[in-house]
Amino acid sequence: MCLQILPSKPNLNDGWMNGWMAMFASMSRGNIEWGDFFGGLGVSFGEQSLSLQTRKNLRSRHHIVRIKYKVIGGMKVEPAMRLVSKGLLIASALWSLGCCGWMAECHGDILVPGLSSRHPLKESQIGALLRSELRCAACHLQGDGEKDGEGGRVLEKSAPDLAGVGGRIDPEYLKRFLQSPSAVHPGTTMPDMLVSRSPADREAIATALTHFLVAQSQEMFQAEPVSSERIEEGSSLFHSVGCVACHEPKIALVQEVDEDDDEQVRKRDQSVAGPTRGISLEHLPGKYSKGSLSAFLYRPLKVRASGRMPDMKLTPAESEAIASYLIHQGDVATQGRIALTVQQELVESGKKYFEELNCAACHELPGIASAKKVAPIQTNTLSRGCVSNEPGKGPRFSVDQRQFAAIRASLPAEGDVNPKMELQNELDQIAMTLTAFNCIACHVRDSYGGVPEDRNLYFRGTEMNLGDDGRIPPPLTLLGAKLQPAWLKRVLFDGESVRPYITTRMPQYGSENLHHFTELVAQTDTLDGVELRTPSPESRSDEEKALERRLRPAAQELLGDKGLNCIACHNFNGKPSPLNKGIDLMTTRERLQPAWFDRFLRNPGAYRPRIIMPYSWPDGVAAYKNILDGDTELQIEAIWYYLSLGTSAADPSGIRRPEMKLSVADMVRTYRGRSGIAGFRGIAVGFPERLNYSFNAETGTLTGIWKGDYIRVDRGGQGSGNFNPAANPVTLAQDTSFIADLDPTAPWPLRPVMTKEAPANPNPLYPKNLGYQFRGYYLGELNNPTFMYSSGEIQIEDRSEVIVEDNRIMLQRRIAFQSPSDQSRWFRALTGDIAQGAPQVYVGKNMSLTVPVVQALLRVDPSVAESKELLLKLEIPQGSSQIELIYELQ
Amino acid sequence: MNCNKNRMYPSGNPWNSRAFWANVCSLWVASFWVVAALGGRIKAEEVGQRWGTELREREYYPIVNIPIPKELVIEAGAFEVLPDKRVAVATRHGEIYLISGLDEPKPNPSYHLFATGLDEIFGLSYRDGVFYVTQSCEVTRVIDSDQDGTADRFETLSDGWGYANYHEYAFGSKMDAAGNLFVTLGLSNSYDSFALFRGFVMHVSPSGTTSAFASGLRSPAGIGTDEHGALFYIESQGPWNCSCSLKAVSQGSFHGHPASFNWYPYAPELGPRPEQPKSGSRTIVERERVKQLVPYAVVFPYIRMGRSITGFTVNRTGGKFGPFENQLFLGDYTQSILMRATTEQVNGVWQGACYPFREGLSTGILNVEFTPEGNLLCGGTNRGWPVRGIKPFALERVEWNGKMPFEIERITVQPDGFKIAFTKSVEPSVGSKPENYRVTNFTHPYHAGYGGPEIQRSTPEVRTVELAEDCMSATISLDTMSRGFVYEFDLGLLRSQDGEELLHKNAYYTVNEIPNR
Repeated sequence: MCLQILPSKPNLNDGWMNGWMAMFASMSRGNIEWGDFFGGLGVSFGEQSLSLQTRKNLRSRHHIVRIKYKVIGGMKVEPAMRLVSKGLLIASALWSLGCCGWMAECHGDILVPGLSSRHPLKESQIGALLRSELRCAACHLQGDGEKDGEGGRVLEKSAPDLAGVGGRIDPEYLKRFLQSPSAVHPGTTMPDMLVSRSPADREAIATALTHFLVAQSQEMFQAEPVSSERIEEGSSLFHSVGCVACHEPKIALVQEVDEDDDEQVRKRDQSVAGPTRGISLEHLPGKYSKGSLSAFLYRPLKVRASGRMPDMKLTPAESEAIASYLIHQGDVATQGRIALTVQQELVESGKKYFEELNCAACHELPGIASAKKVAPIQTNTLSRGCVSNEPGKGPRFSVDQRQFAAIRASLPAEGDVNPKMELQNELDQIAMTLTAFNCIACHVRDSYGGVPEDRNLYFRGTEMNLGDDGRIPPPLTLLGAKLQPAWLKRVLFDGESVRPYITTRMPQYGSENLHHFTELVAQTDTLDGVELRTPSPESRSDEEKALERRLRPAAQELLGDKGLNCIACHNFNGKPSPLNKGIDLMTTRERLQPAWFDRFLRNPGAYRPRIIMPYSWPDGVAAYKNILDGDTELQIEAIWYYLSLGTSAADPSGIRRPEMKLSVADMVRTYRGRSGIAGFRGIAVGFPERLNYSFNAETGTLTGIWKGDYIRVDRGGQGSGNFNPAANPVTLAQDTSFIADLDPTAPWPLRPVMTKEAPANPNPLYPKNLGYQFRGYYLGELNNPTFMYSSGEIQIEDRSEVIVEDNRIMLQRRIAFQSPSDQSRWFRALTGDIAQGAPQVYVGKNMSLTVPVVQALLRVDPSVAESKELLLKLEIPQGSSQIELIYELQ
Repeated sequence: MNCNKNRMYPSGNPWNSRAFWANVCSLWVASFWVVAALGGRIKAEEVGQRWGTELREREYYPIVNIPIPKELVIEAGAFEVLPDKRVAVATRHGEIYLISGLDEPKPNPSYHLFATGLDEIFGLSYRDGVFYVTQSCEVTRVIDSDQDGTADRFETLSDGWGYANYHEYAFGSKMDAAGNLFVTLGLSNSYDSFALFRGFVMHVSPSGTTSAFASGLRSPAGIGTDEHGALFYIESQGPWNCSCSLKAVSQGSFHGHPASFNWYPYAPELGPRPEQPKSGSRTIVERERVKQLVPYAVVFPYIRMGRSITGFTVNRTGGKFGPFENQLFLGDYTQSILMRATTEQVNGVWQGACYPFREGLSTGILNVEFTPEGNLLCGGTNRGWPVRGIKPFALERVEWNGKMPFEIERITVQPDGFKIAFTKSVEPSVGSKPENYRVTNFTHPYHAGYGGPEIQRSTPEVRTVELAEDCMSATISLDTMSRGFVYEFDLGLLRSQDGEELLHKNAYYTVNEIPNR
């Protein structure tokens, strides 16, 4: 919980030095109610996150909500989340009520999920929305002056694309559905087209239509068994990514409340108007195969372009898991589902019916035109029309009395020539849009919408300490004044998201369908605000430069843990917050408008009643008097400016660059990069046995050995991936290892040294001018690399492996030669403080080296006094030969 | 021109200037010593103004995010399309991924890790089962010899250059028809070449024979061919370069920054070292004296057209990407934008124009490539240097949705003016008036200072406009044409026949030569 941050700090009384304390200050002034504050924390997953002390402090002030799974529909109760189970069950009664029939008697099918949410529409507006969602205008002419769809600028709901329906949907289901749509799928907006026909006719026509529709598809429907493996994952996704905002949950999350809970809070939780109703998915097992439902869930807009069923940003694997979950019925699902054999005469008659019933008015199929439109809907004929119980030969929509009344209310009064203008302004159009797409199931806007209590527990997050803002989608109040227009489009149409910690996903409704919405909110949502200054990158005045010099360090201090500690709950520049990983602050300038930013910082609670973000400038007074002289305007401006600096803004105190340690698993690992231990053309090799060595490819030399962890690499900032051993290494010389001739009195040819004073390479061809050329490496068993290089005409392969003997771990290095003739080479095996040990064994600093029986010269290094070097003279015969060296760390 | 008044290039000792430090830390500039001196902190710098066209651009060229699995970090540095239509993505982390499914309507590509452990890859080419990888230390042939799907052989094809300083990046071209590769080698810092051939273009033959090809580079990025098959590379703003620019490379050519002259003794194939250019002059003057100096073909006015242009590619999608067939598309790191460029050869010298194309990418763009379906794949990272895009790394696909934007398609030079081609026909009543074509010009100083101003700005008079019969192009004549100047076009007053404004009203043509009548 967020309060972890507070009591764990011993210096509560030094509070004014701490940004958090500003929040307490404002609370004590009554800006935030404690109850609101803790109520906002919502769900606690068990007790793990609260220290004892904290719990004691909090007990009396807030309620801890616990959740528990219960499967609806008589299935066993499954405590999927093992949580403390004491207290009162509040919602279980509601659940059992919600599932029984009496509700249905009061209300018909839902038809439009948004109308089950807390929408702001008047009755006539509801009617207009229903007409748009039921698509009355597909058959009816519009009255004079009426706009298409009547939903104002909301595009009508469109019917599914039938092009592939035969492959997508079980023909048996199709037939049943065509006979009686709302009986098979309560809540469907598909009307009953055959209501006036006899039962026998209904079946015959439905059969013919089914054959016709199946014949439209290239692919045939194939039922397939659903394995139970993915079901649990599917259930988890279904109940968390947002499906239950519109659909009935299949698992009830039951809220338990501590006995010592605040009476007021309990009352609030109980004051639910009624259970939220979602579209049932009980028909799915008979309708889809696992594959066809997965494909639909992955790209719903492909079949249903109007976006009422939005794209939930599922991956194919996630789609399959949810599909498995939704159609799983034991083994029942696969029984009795035999592929339909299309009969041509039925196809012909089906086509005839398709035309006769004017299906093409809603479902476009190539080559079939829709019929001429019929007269506009009128109030006086409504009781005999397709939304009545006496539709005559027309279709019958399954609307209940309330819906009927709403539709009637939306029509012009009898004799009234002017159509009703229910959507007089942009605010109405926004409300209509948000209801049509049921955005209000998750989002609050102004006084409407928001997550209902009985769906609240399905909204979860991974950063629960952020409170409701860590799990409930953000309010849409003043949306157009908050977000940059380009960013709003990215969120709506490009799937952009900055809140990965919220489990519920922001769906994609299709840019065609919501295009108008971005314009509407831009028109209606405005905030007067200050100009926040950002020094211009070009032709800055001295005054601006001076301002910049003040703002930059001030903002860095304000953001950090020595200041307002914004980074306690915000990531920064792609680097995680040390505590709660909330929205990355560096997204601010890309997303937000300056006026909103300014107002929000001054009074976060005004925009988010339950936000845990502290008040840093309560009543406009800066909590930090020592930064920018406590000037509120300047402090806010400084932060705004700082966040414009992009990724070059230095990290505030408290943000740490994550360490990049590469580790070795069960295969040998090879990594190239700049390194102090192996030069710019360095290579690090790590073995599963936790022994590692480095190789300088520029000189062909083994340059270091270490036990333990492999390497750290610098991939932060401008880091080019340079590496360093992750444990203390034995470092060896990096000069070239092989030369053809050696004057015993002359020093070994050392690699050129560049210094800060003399940075240019004085010997740029070294060691190629000594015959050396690196040729690469290849990976062998366990990916162990063999380095390839040459010394003059001699081709060399150099491979090391780890050997373990009697708890001793050693590096065995084999150097193989391929030579066109007998040749000799000097090999510099070791340098430094070397002593001869056993025969063939030389002991250096922290390491011993066993060398082959060859001519060895242990001499004082002519170039470095008091240092020795071990040189081996290798007589390399024509053809293949090899030597072996063993390195052992001490 | 008085350099002293401009903060971008202080006279006297540049090391003492604060403005110098601010600039020296921008992309591809910060040397190790600078970073060390600042205690590892990179000084902040704004990324520049926006074009403000994102909302309109997206109506024609939407950007589709390519999802990257959570556990992967893909800081793309180079792309290559394989014969099997998979796309290979090579990264700053030294890995090569083979990706399939990039062009799906809702992409959910699969990522196959093909090779790992390499050193900052900025060049990738594939031929006959072998990847030719330009990594910082060398050009490597990367092979899957046992055909198990992952690389197991890393053969050094060329390491014929020094690599010893912080700033020394290497960008590699695609392989040409004969199997040759070209590698651009950045200087050791903005001012110096401390290691062999830093500041050179190297030619690597199919057998690995490596030779110096051209000199005078500063902080180069991508290298490749244009629509005509001519070789170009991208240079960054800095010393001897007042803006980023596209430069035409040929055997022995010199590209303006003399720090690399010290390696001519090691490159007898290039002949004698060029004359030392005079700081404070103009390229148009110095190219008469320094025979190898090639004037910068397309100048990208600094900040208005990018701050650190990186990779580029040619649109050969056969119309799949819209109206800009055969043009160069270039990514910018700092501003997370894409630009276009066109080139033409006049009197034997390359020159051309650049045009804004798309802003609002999510990260700093390091490279771009067209996918098999003709979408423009962009990738990169935002770490280390100031970048507008807010994602630490991203792969994005820019696609054409089939709607025709009203754009300046291409500008070409005429003996007394320019021919401006459009993507849609221009409203004749507007397009036939000279006053609706606002043209100014400027030049840059050619000098050792860091960056530089736009100077000698003037407004030539547009005397006549000749609108083509189909109104798809206009030929304008000016009262004067000056070599060595960048011509800046503001055609914001034009309208298409549907009454649309230009999606981007600006374009910039670099006149190195004027064709004869």
